[in-house]
Amino acid sequence: MSSLLIERPLPHGGRLVERVVRDKEVAKKMIKGCPSYDIKPTLHYETGVPVRNVYREIMSICYGFFSPVEGSMTQAEVERILKERRLLNEWIFPFPLVFDISKEDYKKLGVTKGDRLVLNLKGKPFAILDIEEIWEIDNLEEFAHRVFGTPEDNPEVVKHKFDKKHPGWVIYRSHQPVVLAGKYTIINEPKFRPPFDRFWFPPRKCRAKFDELGWRTAIAHQTRNVPHVGHEFLMKNAAYTGDIEPCHGILVNAIIGVKRRGDYPDETIVEAQEAVSTAGYIKPERRLVSLCLWDMRYGNPLESLLHAIIRQNMGCTHHMFGRDHAAVGEYYDMWATQILWTKGIPSFGFDKAPTDVPYGVHIRPQNMREFAYCPVCKEMAYSETCGHKREGISGSLLRGMVAEGVQPPSVILRPEVYKVVVKWWKHFGYPFCNEKYVRDKERDLEVDLEDL
Amino acid sequence: MGHYILVLLDENRLERIKGSDVENNIKAMFGGELKCIEVNVPEELSQKILKTFDTARIDARGAITDLPVAFMREFFNQIAEKKSIGPEVIEATLAKADQIKELAAKESEYLPPPDIQI
Ligand SMILES: [Zn+2]
Repeated sequence: MSSLLIERPLPHGGRLVERVVRDKEVAKKMIKGCPSYDIKPTLHYETGVPVRNVYREIMSICYGFFSPVEGSMTQAEVERILKERRLLNEWIFPFPLVFDISKEDYKKLGVTKGDRLVLNLKGKPFAILDIEEIWEIDNLEEFAHRVFGTPEDNPEVVKHKFDKKHPGWVIYRSHQPVVLAGKYTIINEPKFRPPFDRFWFPPRKCRAKFDELGWRTAIAHQTRNVPHVGHEFLMKNAAYTGDIEPCHGILVNAIIGVKRRGDYPDETIVEAQEAVSTAGYIKPERRLVSLCLWDMRYGNPLESLLHAIIRQNMGCTHHMFGRDHAAVGEYYDMWATQILWTKGIPSFGFDKAPTDVPYGVHIRPQNMREFAYCPVCKEMAYSETCGHKREGISGSLLRGMVAEGVQPPSVILRPEVYKVVVKWWKHFGYPFCNEKYVRDKERDLEVDLEDL
Repeated sequence: MGHYILVLLDENRLERIKGSDVENNIKAMFGGELKCIEVNVPEELSQKILKTFDTARIDARGAITDLPVAFMREFFNQIAEKKSIGPEVIEATLAKADQIKELAAKESEYLPPPDIQI
């Protein structure tokens, strides 16, 4: 076999974390006599609107998306992440992940180090947290700033000081001060509601699916959106990267979590992505749509590192990154993600690209620019290839069309994708997330639980 | 510089202006796949639009954007009815401002879905 063939990388940290107990009798014994706590949504520190639900982190940790992370982090681990973006076991990781509760709840609970706490979700036992340490975040505002960086400390990429207009900063600012650190274990597997159930490919299952499809190489595509034709061309063409042949597969991974008004509903996003394949624009044998639960932090370069870890764990060999990757506003340089993957960001602890540092990641970045329609070439053309004036497909043009009920032409949005938008529009009475959708989603979440 | 409103045309809308003079003003984007009309708005009327609808703004190209969807629907209805893109269609739309505003208030929670087979 050619020495140039690229093999599927091992999970980040060397092995997949899987902390799920599937035997109900065993689970019942594990929680007998333990105190319990009902998981609460994290509410915006000023407005009280839900901005995060820690259940999504527990799911992503226990099913191995965030391998090698195994639980809520200790103070020393969070400190190390904020300084060098590394876990205590040396592996690189971008964000602190903690189980945080209020001082009042902590007092009421009366738990201490060594206790096992049962975490209930929607009134049912869901997971356990084996408490190793209890610590306090003393200044939440400073904590939030340190998570994302500041223009003073991270001049390479941070352009403006973060504030409450940044939804990721708000998530960390809205954390509760008491952290219960320790490993999580899911003891009652939640069931995804349709349509999410058929997109649930946690890393072990995803790797098995790649085997079944015969994929050695696969390129990951991050999404939070209904795919227009520009996205489709990006995916198709990025997939020509590979080793001695193009990537065998394209893994579309939708980040599903708390929504903002004006986003497309998550149901629409996953089914619209699926429609690109079922309608044959990129055939299903070559493209898999999946999801990962996570309340987006919009941390641009830091988020791209998390994305790389998630998709390496899922079995991908390559990852597409675009301009303003997972960005909101102009806090970071618009090419911050490309800077990270090209030469590293020393102030975040990377004097080289995250693929080149010790205990780094093994997925290969593919930094792509944009596709837009060229009336001269008469095709969707790549910005760095076509020398003509192109007509970009802007999100606002598309949203305006959708809102007005004007069907976009198929060179902009595939009719099968538009049908999915309309299907869920009829269901929710609105094509985008309205206030009701945002509220209901955080009440109902994406899953249901049975009795244990 | 005069301002304008970009009116998007799908099959259904094209049908409604078929055979009228309005057809002569159709412009094509995306290789002819997207049809639209740029309706010029006299200064006095554009000020009135901006005053009446607080979300409205003028973008870098001089287009009046971010108008309520209800406005855009009614605007096209007027174009189709009057078979014109003259100032009278803008005036007729503005005459229904109260009704449009009422619909626009509900628009942030509800928008009627298009009647297509899914
Ligand atoms: Zn060209």
